[in-house]
Amino acid sequence: MRSITLVLIVGLTSLAAYLAATRFAGRRRADLPGALKETLECLGLVVIFFLVNFAVGTALILGLRSLTGQFISVYIVNDATLAVLSLLQALVFYRWRARSK
Amino acid sequence: MLSPARGLRLLGLLGLLLFAVAAFTPLANSLNIWMAGMAMLEPADAIVVLGRGGADTDGVLTNRSLRRTLDGIGLYGDGFAPVLVLSGSSDETSARARLAQGLGVPSGAILRTSSAKTTRGEAEEIRRLLIPLGRRRILLVADPIDMPRARAVMERAGFTVLPAPTAATGPSDPESRLGLLRDILSELAGWTYYRLTGAL
Repeated sequence: MRSITLVLIVGLTSLAAYLAATRFAGRRRADLPGALKETLECLGLVVIFFLVNFAVGTALILGLRSLTGQFISVYIVNDATLAVLSLLQALVFYRWRARSK
Repeated sequence: MLSPARGLRLLGLLGLLLFAVAAFTPLANSLNIWMAGMAMLEPADAIVVLGRGGADTDGVLTNRSLRRTLDGIGLYGDGFAPVLVLSGSSDETSARARLAQGLGVPSGAILRTSSAKTTRGEAEEIRRLLIPLGRRRILLVADPIDMPRARAVMERAGFTVLPAPTAATGPSDPESRLGLLRDILSELAGWTYYRLTGAL
């Protein structure tokens, strides 16, 4: 039930945004598929940043453990914050790339 | 040849699909149940509650640690074993012991280990604690996703393990399912690391 409610809410606001954008903000429907493709590219970048952050974080922790003998938990990288930060990284780099074109 | 932009789109689509499946289907729950295996609730020499998540700064047990502790106390109350072993950080074991005593477990039946930092370390500590007492058959209380690695490590330490996983069905809301899947992936990474380093 909660899942359906969340999807419904997002579906409704997406539809409202679509109508507002095409009727009042001058957005063209023909540009939407391109926007979706670019969103997928940005998401791909998020996945790459997340995997790299996870791998580097784990390697750093294991390396520091063996170098210093101090215990550092690898669960540090098992945190949702890492996904949000990866998203921010990806957005910045994606927009940077777009501006450089 | 796949262009970089096309490759990114494909990766993005895969990420999106994984997110949707993880959040809106019972995939994580099914994996959770599968990793828990069959519970074997039979009389044992000791009930071992492994550490998980410790205690918060106010000394209160985290959700998972609390669930495990309550399960262990329940098994003790049902007479499955005469000894309850509480493992974890010192804050965690103190809070667990207070809770267990508050719920009627005599202090003489509670054994604690709090110096280990990893599952492998816990197994070693518990081995040193229980094997000299002739207690080899243990009911192991751990989260379903932790059970395969925890069980293998404890068996390697010389115990006969009866799994007593907690909360096998897992959560029903999207956010918790995502968290569970993240934990499952993290646990699989831990399993791989233990295999590579010869701990399993």
